[in-house]
Amino acid sequence: MLRTSLFLISLLLSSVFCLENINEEFEEHLSIKSLRDGRVTSSFSFTTLLRDAIPRDPRTLAFDDDISQHYTLFPLSLGQILRQYAITELHLTLNAGKWNYDTWGYPDEPDVGVGAELRAWMAGDSISSIDERWQGVRNALAGLFCASLGSLDEQRTTSPRLSFPPEGALPDWGLPHELRHASHASEHVCTENLTPFLKLLPCKSLSGLATLLNPHRIFDADWHGIGLHVLWRPEGVEVRLNVQLVSDPLRISAQGKQDWSFHSLFDRKVEKACPVASSTRVSVELPNSGVYRVYPEPQEIKDGKAYYNLKNNNEAWNIGTMWPTDFEYRICHAALSPPDPALVPFSVTRNLLGPTQDRGELSIVLTNNQQDTLQLLYLETMPWIVQFYLHTIRVHSDNVPRDDLVSNISYVLPVPHARPATFESVLTLPGRSTLTFSMDVAKAFLRYTEHPPDAQRGWDLPPAIFTPLNQSLNEPMSLGSRVYTPSLLVDLATPDFSMPYNVIIFTCSVMAFIFGSVFNVLTRKFIVVRLDPPRNQSASRAEKRLENTDSDTSNELNTSKSGVH
Amino acid sequence: MHWLSCRKTITLCIVFRVLFALGLDFYLSPPTSYAYYADNGDKVVEFINTGPGLLSASSPLTLYANLKESLWLYQRGMDPYGSGIGQVGVSPLYLAFSFFPTIAESGPLKTQLLSKLFGIFLWTAPDAFSAWFLVRIWKARASSRTSTNSSSSSITFVLPLIYLLSPYVILSSLARSTSVWENAILLGAIAWACESESEFKTKPKLNNSNSKSKSKSLLFLALRVHLSLDALILLPPLILILLGSPESRLAEPGPFALYVAKRRSVKKQPEEKLPNEPAENHLRSTILRAALNVLFEFMVYWTALALISTLIVGHWRWMSTTWGTSLSLPSMTPNPGLWWYFFTEMFDHFRPFFLVVFNVHLLMYVAPICIKFQHDPLYALFILVGILATFKSYPTLSDHGLFIAFWGIFPEVYPYLRHPFPTTLVLIHSALLQPLFAHLWLSHGTGNANFYYASTLVGACAGGMAIVDAVWAGLRIALERHGKRELKFVEGEEREIVTQQ
Repeated sequence: MLRTSLFLISLLLSSVFCLENINEEFEEHLSIKSLRDGRVTSSFSFTTLLRDAIPRDPRTLAFDDDISQHYTLFPLSLGQILRQYAITELHLTLNAGKWNYDTWGYPDEPDVGVGAELRAWMAGDSISSIDERWQGVRNALAGLFCASLGSLDEQRTTSPRLSFPPEGALPDWGLPHELRHASHASEHVCTENLTPFLKLLPCKSLSGLATLLNPHRIFDADWHGIGLHVLWRPEGVEVRLNVQLVSDPLRISAQGKQDWSFHSLFDRKVEKACPVASSTRVSVELPNSGVYRVYPEPQEIKDGKAYYNLKNNNEAWNIGTMWPTDFEYRICHAALSPPDPALVPFSVTRNLLGPTQDRGELSIVLTNNQQDTLQLLYLETMPWIVQFYLHTIRVHSDNVPRDDLVSNISYVLPVPHARPATFESVLTLPGRSTLTFSMDVAKAFLRYTEHPPDAQRGWDLPPAIFTPLNQSLNEPMSLGSRVYTPSLLVDLATPDFSMPYNVIIFTCSVMAFIFGSVFNVLTRKFIVVRLDPPRNQSASRAEKRLENTDSDTSNELNTSKSGVH
Repeated sequence: MHWLSCRKTITLCIVFRVLFALGLDFYLSPPTSYAYYADNGDKVVEFINTGPGLLSASSPLTLYANLKESLWLYQRGMDPYGSGIGQVGVSPLYLAFSFFPTIAESGPLKTQLLSKLFGIFLWTAPDAFSAWFLVRIWKARASSRTSTNSSSSSITFVLPLIYLLSPYVILSSLARSTSVWENAILLGAIAWACESESEFKTKPKLNNSNSKSKSKSLLFLALRVHLSLDALILLPPLILILLGSPESRLAEPGPFALYVAKRRSVKKQPEEKLPNEPAENHLRSTILRAALNVLFEFMVYWTALALISTLIVGHWRWMSTTWGTSLSLPSMTPNPGLWWYFFTEMFDHFRPFFLVVFNVHLLMYVAPICIKFQHDPLYALFILVGILATFKSYPTLSDHGLFIAFWGIFPEVYPYLRHPFPTTLVLIHSALLQPLFAHLWLSHGTGNANFYYASTLVGACAGGMAIVDAVWAGLRIALERHGKRELKFVEGEEREIVTQQ
C-alpha cells in the first residue's frame, strides 16, 4: 500500500515536473488574407520548438544507444525518424493545384510546387551513407503520412547546388552537409495524409486552431497543401507543420459576396484554445481599400493586419470579414482604370511544345514587372525521360536574341533509367521586359514495364523553380522567395502493351530463320551427281538431271542438299 | 583511263550531292528569313530527322544532336559522360574536334554561306572517300584476275554511283549522322588491307608502301572499333585479308594455308598438291605467328586510341557510354534493327539473358563464315558487313547502304543468286514503309509502335535474304567452276565429283 502510494506520488511529481518543463514550446498561428480575385487564403502554422536540442550527429549512427527520447509536445513518431536517420533539416510538402502568383501574390509558405516535394539536409562523410539514410527517411515518412513518398526514388532525387539553401542553421560537426531533393508532381494530397498530419499535433484536432482543419472543406478548396518543416536553430530544433489553402467564398456564396468567416470557410468555429499552446493567434490582413467590417473587434491592429489572441477568451471564435457590396471583378475595368500594381516582381509560364512523341521544345516566358533588372536562379529537375539539348538554348529578350542573359549554367546529366537531370542557371531579366528561353528536348522511349498503368495519360514533369537573386555589393548573395511553375505533362511514345509475347516470338522467329538458313547453307556440301551413264560426251551434260527439287533449274548441274549423302 | 572515269564519277556525284544539300537548305530556310541563330544546315538535319529519315537515319550513337550536345558540354568544361553507366555518348575522339562547331558557328550573314558549305562538305567528304575506297577495293580484287574483263571499267564507274547516289547514304549524310564517317573509316581500313602486301603475298605492287598500308588499315579499323564497338567482328576477316589477298578466289576454294603456300611457291609447281607434313606444320605456325603479329599491332593502336580518349576526357567512364551502349542497349530509341522493340517488350528478369543472346548471336557468325570463306576473306567480310547491318544493336540506314554498295564488288556471284528479285522487292518495301510508319506512329498519331516494328522486321527479312543468298551464291560458284574443270579430267567416266568443302 505504501509502495503504491509512493509510486503514485512519484508519478504525480514527475508529471508536474514535465508540465513545468519549458524545454518544449508549442505555438499556433493562422493568417487569413482576402485575395484580389475574391478568394481567401488561410495559412495555418503549428510550431513546436524543442529547446537546446541538436540533430543527431551521423557519426553516432554506428552506436545503437541514442539519447532517450521523452517528448511531451514534440511529435515522438517524427522525432524517432529524425534521429534514426540523423536528419538535420527536412521539408515535406504535399500540394494540389496551381498557385496563381499573378493574382494571389507570394504564399506564406513558399513551397507550393504541385504534388509531393521532399528535401533534406544531411551530414555525412560518405555519399553512400547519405543515400541510404535518404532512402530510409523517404520510406519512413511515406509510412508516417500515408503518401507515396517511396516513389521519390533515385529516378527523382537531385541535389541542386543553389536553389534550396538551408532555412535553419547547420551544426558544425566538421562534416559536409548534403542536400537531397525529390519531387513527384502526380502525387495527390488527400484526407489520408491529413489524418496522420493532425496526429502529430499535441491537441490533435480537438482544440485550438486545428479544430478548423475540416477535411471536407480543406480538400474542397481551390488550392490546398500541407507541409512539414524541421529545422535547427541554435536555440533548438523547430518543427513547423503548416496547412495552406485558397478557398473561394464566391463559389459558396449565393449573393456573389466575398464575405468569409471561420464558419463559412471551415464549417467550424474555434470552441476552445489548445491548453498546451503558449500562444494561439489569428491574423487577418485588412483590405487596402473599400468598406468592410472585421468581426469580432480585433484586439490589435498593426501593419494593416488585425490580430486576435484566442487564448484570452473562452467563448467560441468565429472571426470573419463582411463587405456591404457584391464582389466586383476588377478585370472588367482593366481598360478604364490603371492596371493593378503587380503582386510579384516577375511572372512566368512554362510550356512543352511540339506535336511529335520523339522530340519537343521547352519554352519559358518570363516577364519582369519591375523597372529594375532582375536576376533569377532557374532550376529544372527533369526526369531522364525528357533529355535536354543545351546546345539549342535560345534566349530572346523582347524578341531580340540575347544569349548573354543566361549565365552560370550548371548541369548534371541524366542517367537513363536511373537519375534525373539537374539544370541550374542564372537568367537576367532587364527591367519591364519579356524574356523567352527555349531549348530542344528529346523524349525517351521507355521499356514497357516502365510505363505507368495509364500510359496514354502521359508523365507529369516536376515544376521548375525560379528564385530571385538579391545581389548587393557588400553582402553575399541572398535568395528571394521561390516561385514554382505548374507541372507539365509529357506525352511519350508507347509500345503496344499487349504484344510482349508476339514481339518476342516474331523477332526470335526472324532471327532463327536467318540463322538457320545461313548455317544450313554454310554446312552444305555441293556435289555433282550423274545419274545416267553418258552415251557420248556431248550428250552427257545434257542428261544430267536434278536430283533434289529444291534447287534452281537454271543450270544443268545438280545441286543437292547437305553432306548426308 | 578507267581511273579517270571513276574520279570523274565521284566528282560529279559529290557536286550533285552538295548542290542538292544546298538547294534543300535554301528551300527550307530561304536567305531572306535568316534568323539570328545560324542554323548551319540544322534545318536540313531537322527535316531529315523528322521527315524521310525519322528514326532510321541516325541512331542515338550517331545522332548529330547528341554529337553537338557532347561538344557543347565539353567546350564549356562539363563532362559529357556524366556518371557513365547507362548513358549514350559519342566517342571521345569526336571531342578532339571540338573546334569544328566554332568554325561553323557564324554570326554575320556573309559568312553563313561559307559555314553552310563547310558543314555540307564535312558530311559529304566522307562519302567521297568511301566511294574512292570502294573503287580501290575493287581494283585490288580485280588486279589479280587473269582475265581482265571488260566489266572492270564499268564497275569502277558504277561503284561510286551505287554508294554516292544510294538514298540510304544520302539520307544519313543529310541527317549528319556520324555513321557516314564510320563507313568511310571502315572502307579505308578494308581498302588498305586489300592493297597491303604481307610476307605471304608475292605479287609486286605499284607502290612500295605495303607495310605502311597494313598499318594504316589496322589503325583505321582500330579507329572504327573505337567509334562503335560492333566493327570488332570484322577484325578476323580483315586479318585474313592482310595475310592473304583480296583476290577473287570464290571459284577455287581451299584451305587458307594451302592457298598461302601456293602463293609462296610462286607458281613453280602449279600442280603441286598439299605440301608434306612438316612443311605444312611449319607453314601453319608461320601464318599463326603473322596473325598474332597483326593482332598485336591492332591491339597497340586500339590501346593507344583508348589512352588518347582517356586523356581527352580525363576518366575511363567514356567506355561504358560508348562501347557499353551497343552491348547493353540503354536507349530504346527505335531504329531499323531488331533489338529495340524486342527489349522494349522484354520482361525485366529476362533482359540480361537476351542481351547476352543477342550479342553472342552477332559473334556466332564470325568463325563459321571466316572458316567457310577462308579462300576469299573479302567475301567473308562482305557477309559480316551484311550481318552487322541486319543484327547490330543500333543500325542505321547507312549500314544498309554500305552492304548494298558492297554487292557491287562481287559481280561474279550474280548468276548464282537464287532470289535477287524478291530480296530487292522486300528491301524496297521495307525502305518505303519505314518512314511512313514512323510518321504514323510518332507524328501523326494514327499508328502505333507495331507499325514501325513490322516495317523493321520486313527490313530484317530483306537483310537476311540478302545474306543467305550471298552465302549460297558464294559457295555455289565454286561448284560450277570446279565442276566444269573436274569434268574435263574425268570425261566419259561415270563417277561422283565432290567439291572441296
